Amino acid sequence: MSETPETEQKPPERESKLVDGLTAKLGKDVLEVDIKPKRIKVKVKPERIKDAAEYIKNELGFDHVASVSGVDYPNDQELEVIYHIAAYEREDLRDLVVALAARIPRQDPKTPTLTDIWPSSEYSERETYEMIGIIFEGHPKLERLLLPEDWDDIPPLRKEFKNPGR
Amino acid sequence: MSEIRTFPDFVKRLVIVVGGLVILLVVLFGVLVNTVPVVSEFNDVLLASLSNPGVMLAYLDSLGVGLNSTIFRIVVFPGFTWAALIAAEVIWFERKFLAKMQLRVGPLYAGVIAGILQPIADMIKLLFKELTAPARADKLVFYSIPLLLNAIGAALLAVLPVSEAWIIMRSDVSMLVVFAVIGFAPITVLLAGWASNSKFPFIGALRGLHQMIAFEIPMLIAALSVVLLAGTLDLVNIVQAQSSIWFIVLMPMGAIVFFCCLLAELERIPFDLPEAESEIVMGYQTEYSSMAFGNLQLGVYIRFYAMAGIFTTLFLGGWHGPMILPAGFEIANQVEWFTLKTLLVMVFMIVLRGVNPRFRMDQLLRFGWARLLVLAFVNLFLAILILQMGWFP
Amino acid sequence: MSTLSISVGPQHPGSGHFRIMVKLDGDRIVEALPDPGYVHRGEEKLAEYRNYIQNIPHFERPIVHDSSNILFAYVSAVEDLMKLEVPERGQYIRVVMAELNRIIAHLYYMAIYGIFVGHSTMFMWPMGDRELFIDVAQMISGQRVTFAFLLPGGVRNDMPEGVKERAEKACDYFEKRLVEYEKIFINNPLFERRTRGMGVLTKQDAIRLGVVGPTLRASGVKADLRKDEPYAVYDKLDFDIPVSQDGDSWARAWVHMEEMRQSMAIIRQALKDMPSGPVKLNLRGQIRAPSGETFARTEASRGALSFYLVSNGGMMPYRVRLITPSFRNMIAIPHILKGLLLADLPPAFWGLDYWPVEADR
Repeated sequence: MSETPETEQKPPERESKLVDGLTAKLGKDVLEVDIKPKRIKVKVKPERIKDAAEYIKNELGFDHVASVSGVDYPNDQELEVIYHIAAYEREDLRDLVVALAARIPRQDPKTPTLTDIWPSSEYSERETYEMIGIIFEGHPKLERLLLPEDWDDIPPLRKEFKNPGR
Repeated sequence: MSEIRTFPDFVKRLVIVVGGLVILLVVLFGVLVNTVPVVSEFNDVLLASLSNPGVMLAYLDSLGVGLNSTIFRIVVFPGFTWAALIAAEVIWFERKFLAKMQLRVGPLYAGVIAGILQPIADMIKLLFKELTAPARADKLVFYSIPLLLNAIGAALLAVLPVSEAWIIMRSDVSMLVVFAVIGFAPITVLLAGWASNSKFPFIGALRGLHQMIAFEIPMLIAALSVVLLAGTLDLVNIVQAQSSIWFIVLMPMGAIVFFCCLLAELERIPFDLPEAESEIVMGYQTEYSSMAFGNLQLGVYIRFYAMAGIFTTLFLGGWHGPMILPAGFEIANQVEWFTLKTLLVMVFMIVLRGVNPRFRMDQLLRFGWARLLVLAFVNLFLAILILQMGWFP
Repeated sequence: MSTLSISVGPQHPGSGHFRIMVKLDGDRIVEALPDPGYVHRGEEKLAEYRNYIQNIPHFERPIVHDSSNILFAYVSAVEDLMKLEVPERGQYIRVVMAELNRIIAHLYYMAIYGIFVGHSTMFMWPMGDRELFIDVAQMISGQRVTFAFLLPGGVRNDMPEGVKERAEKACDYFEKRLVEYEKIFINNPLFERRTRGMGVLTKQDAIRLGVVGPTLRASGVKADLRKDEPYAVYDKLDFDIPVSQDGDSWARAWVHMEEMRQSMAIIRQALKDMPSGPVKLNLRGQIRAPSGETFARTEASRGALSFYLVSNGGMMPYRVRLITPSFRNMIAIPHILKGLLLADLPPAFWGLDYWPVEADR
């Protein structure tokens, strides 16, 4: 196994062009931008996630959510919610995936739902809610999806949940 | 006795029960032979018939259950046992034939030739299964339905002329008997669904009811044209009227209508909506288990045979056919032709099952009411035309 | 309005390990809500307890008959983090396995579709013909169903002699069979009458709901990651994306059928163009992905399948997010079932190619 050295490359032009508009619009609320070929990750302040989403959908033309994920960072006492957004309608954007992320406090994990912007995120948000305990405010049906009905433990994908038998 | 837990336990129990029964029967028989005159007489006949079977036949005749008695016809040939045997082997044939169509092997192990004893094996398996009923089922109706279905299938056999000589009950209006019996089937199906007190059987029963009623009327009208041409309601006379030309040649349209209705009445693919397994599990048969299910299936297949027999009688010239057996076997020739044609009709229905998916309810009802009914009426007018113009000899 | 509510599943021959709570008005469905989770294994959590190699057989479990495609996405994610370049022959073998798996999964689809509309012959034929391709895959990988064949850095072993001839023979035979399938099933007037215009998902709805795979392409969106974001050697191969504008259940069956033809074309080309050389990188010791995150996706047989992999540089992944095509297509179930007859539920539902185990993960 060889560690390939990080080569300093200029970020790809097309991707950075797309992000520039977003950073211009949200200004300082964009906390982090990570651009790789075909993959863009934008981390914003949790209260501006809806604005960013609206911009990505309406101005950039990304029309569906491929996945909603939650990642637990117990060391920072934070949960990260990540929307991976892709496009069908615009054929030139089909190979791109935009990851829109926000970090929310672990004690009060609330974030607005994006189902009204992308209806395709409905079930993914429901799964993230039950698996990692992020509450999507305004979700039409924030109920248990995959777990048993009598589940009364903490959300299983939190890091302090240990698999039984391990 | 102790509980059965292992296979050796089971074998032990089997040996004890069967052996005990045999010993008991032998002792009982030995006692009866020496005390009751009827039994000792039977014993004598039994011993005599070993060298001369005629003795046994004459003895049975004297008791009123001989080959020419009505009881024999009802119970053995051409009645229930005959139909049940054909039903069992048609089940085998259907499985084997479909398997060939679908590039499979089908039944293979039970029986020496190609799994021919598979239906018997299945029946034995069903006999040993637990008989259950839903907790809130209407038990009396629930358990009587399989018998009822058997009965309405077998009732058709009463008027089915297998040959000139072999018919259980000859009547001047046997055609009406057929339709009275067919009209009873939807009620059985509805009762089965209702008595199960379960959702999917109920939906299946409603579907069955709709379907059977929708297809009874074109069926009746198609049969009516046959009655018009033959000028009689007696099935035997209808067959005799076809001695020169079969009705399927004169009225192909009527035959097609009748055949489609037959498929629908029998709930066979593509009309098997009442028991569509991927939609409503098994329809009105869902809650049945063990031999109750076995009886239900037997009833369905006896009905299958009987209805195919009616199609043969009405359109395919019944027992008529060239003499292929040596002289002196005229009756056997008739039986053989009737059976052959009936089996052919059944095979054709099985082929349809192999190549078609099933209809949807609305499409089926539209097909029944809007297509077949119209065709049946057109056919009726054609029949009248044929009759009026004197084209039919 | 009084409605009858029935549970289609989990103990129903037309559902799989899955339940659809259906409200009926007469025979018409007024509401159909999916209730997944009966076969939820917690794959994402379990993956955090296994190292990168142990996760390979583990991640096959949700889709056993499409195992190469799901692993394709997983190994792509790992390779992306580790910055590995797979040898070209390895990539070609991967493509062959992925396309074999696509045919195997699609044949499974056709079989179940057949039995769901009451066509028993169409159940048996594809199940039998699947064996041909399973045999070829077995020749390559040594396994019949769960191949566990793709590794980070290549494939497990090189192909033995004779695979090309065997695969060509299977394709030759199966192309003839596909014509028969069309005659007896796809173009059967009864089947067309059952499924044409039923369970329609319009192009706008398909995009709005973010459905994937053949369901999406049957609704008129020509999107396929093999073309849109060519991974491995798909950009060097010549194939078509079958698209239908109808968006109904019949179109979905047709798209599956045509995709099998295209898959066979890909297999033939890949076996012909395959260069010689190593099939995998020689990775020694424990595989450890450097810290970082990646989002890898491939076109599995049922549609776009994605892995979101977060690593903190340890032996095991920090977080794996697996989104399967069935999970994404589930959102279309209430949408297309509403207003149909109960009799249309099995074909409409199966038309989506929804596989409960895959959706539950």
